[in-house]
Amino acid sequence: MEDAAIVELYWQRDQQAIAETDKKYGAYCQHIAYAVCSDRLDAEECVNDTWLRAWGAMPDKRPTVLATFLGKITRNLAINRFQRKTRKKRGGGETELALEELEDCIPAALDVERRYELQEFRQAIGRFVSGLSETEQKVFVARYWYLCPVEEIARRLQISSSKTKSMLFRLRNRLRLYLKEEDLW
Amino acid sequence: MLDAYSLLRAMNGIREEDIVMADKHFDSPKHVRSRTKRMVTLALAAALILALGAGAWALFFSMDHRVPEPEESFRIHWEESPSGYIEWKNVGLAVTFPETEESRAVEFRPGWLPEEMASLQDDAWASRLTAERLCFEGGADFVPAYDDMTQPMLIESFAMSQFNQGGALLLLDYTAGAVTEETWVDRNVDVLYFSASIHFDANPEHDLPERTLVQNYVLLSNPEAGWVVRIGGELDLETLLEVARNLEIRETGEILRYEDFTDHFALFNAGAG
Repeated sequence: MEDAAIVELYWQRDQQAIAETDKKYGAYCQHIAYAVCSDRLDAEECVNDTWLRAWGAMPDKRPTVLATFLGKITRNLAINRFQRKTRKKRGGGETELALEELEDCIPAALDVERRYELQEFRQAIGRFVSGLSETEQKVFVARYWYLCPVEEIARRLQISSSKTKSMLFRLRNRLRLYLKEEDLW
Repeated sequence: MLDAYSLLRAMNGIREEDIVMADKHFDSPKHVRSRTKRMVTLALAAALILALGAGAWALFFSMDHRVPEPEESFRIHWEESPSGYIEWKNVGLAVTFPETEESRAVEFRPGWLPEEMASLQDDAWASRLTAERLCFEGGADFVPAYDDMTQPMLIESFAMSQFNQGGALLLLDYTAGAVTEETWVDRNVDVLYFSASIHFDANPEHDLPERTLVQNYVLLSNPEAGWVVRIGGELDLETLLEVARNLEIRETGEILRYEDFTDHFALFNAGAG
C-alpha cells in the first residue's frame, strides 16, 4: 500500500493503518531499533511503541515519507531505552561505539534544556549532511542514523573498512568545524 | 549539558531525502528492489570510472601542495632544544594529505635500479633505502658518476595519519619547480613529482664557485591504505621515476595512527643538506 494511502487510514482513524504500517515497515523499524538496543525484546517493544506514537501523531501530521517519519520515532525510543538500560554501565555494541566517536563533536556550552538551541542543533546537522557528497552522506547517515557497523557500511558501498573509517574520521572533524562556524560550539 | 546521546538524537535533524538516499536494505520488496537498483548503479559507476581511466581517478587526487608564506613557521619536536622544538620558516613547499585515521605501514624493495646501483639490489624489504654510500671514495660501492653528489637517491615511507591536523611534508631551503600530478591507475597510486634547486653565490674565501644544486622528488601515495613513499635525491628525475614505477610495495600489517608520532611535519630534503 502506498504511503499516502496508509497515512489516510490514520487520518480516518481506521485501525487497519497499524496493520498496514506493520506489514510495510515492521522489519525496517525493527532493524533500526535492534541496531541501537542490540536486544530483540527491547527492539520489539520500541516498534510497538512506535505504532502507538504514530497513531497519536496522525492526524495532525501528514508525513510525505512514512519510512523516515517512523524511523525517527523508533530511533528516539530505542536511544532512550538504551540510555536507561546503560545508565550504570557502558557495555559495547555499535551504539556505544557511535557515542564514543561523536563525543569529540560535542560543544560543551550547549544547554539542552533550551529547546530552541537543540532545534538549531538538529537543523545544523541536517544542513551539514545535505552539503556532503553522495558517498559521504551514505557513510555518515549509515553510521550515525542507522548505527550500521563500519564493516557493513564498507561492504554495502564496496569500499574498504579502512577507507570507511578514514571518511568517518574526516567527517566528524568537518562536523566539529561546521558547528563552530554555525556558532553552536 | 549536551552529551553524546543528545547528539545521537540530534541526527534526526538529517533531512528525509538524505536518509532515504542512504537507505539500508531490508528484507522487504521495497528494499530488495533498492538493493538491486543500487548494485546496478554501482556496477555502472565502476564501468564509467574504468572507461574514463586516469581522468576519473584524478578527481580524487590525494596530495595537495602549496608554497607557504615566508613567515609561516613549522615546528618539529626536538628534545635537545631548550624550547623543546625546532622551528623552520621560508619553507619551499608543503605537501599535505587527507585526514586519515589509520594508515597501513608499508615496506618496499626496488624492482629496477640503474646499473651503477647494482650493489643496492637484493631481495630485502625495507622502509628506508639510501644510496649515500655510492658517493664515498675508497668504499667498495663507490660509483665515480656520483662523486659530486651527497645523496643520489633516498627512498622512505610515511603514513598519512602522521600529517593530520595541519601536518605536512616540507621542502626546506630548496625552491620547487613545476609540480606534476599523475595517477598511475595500474598501480593504484597518486604521483607527485618535481625538481627543486638552491642557488649559492661564489664564495672566494672558501674557494667555492657560484653553483646551483638540484634535487628531484617523486611521491607515491595510496589514499585508501594511507601510505606515502618518497623517492628523492640528486639523480635525474627520469631515473627516479623509473625506480618509482618499478618499486615493489607491500603492507607490513602494522597500523599507524596520529598519536603514534611525536612529530607531524617531516622533511623532503633527501639527506643532502
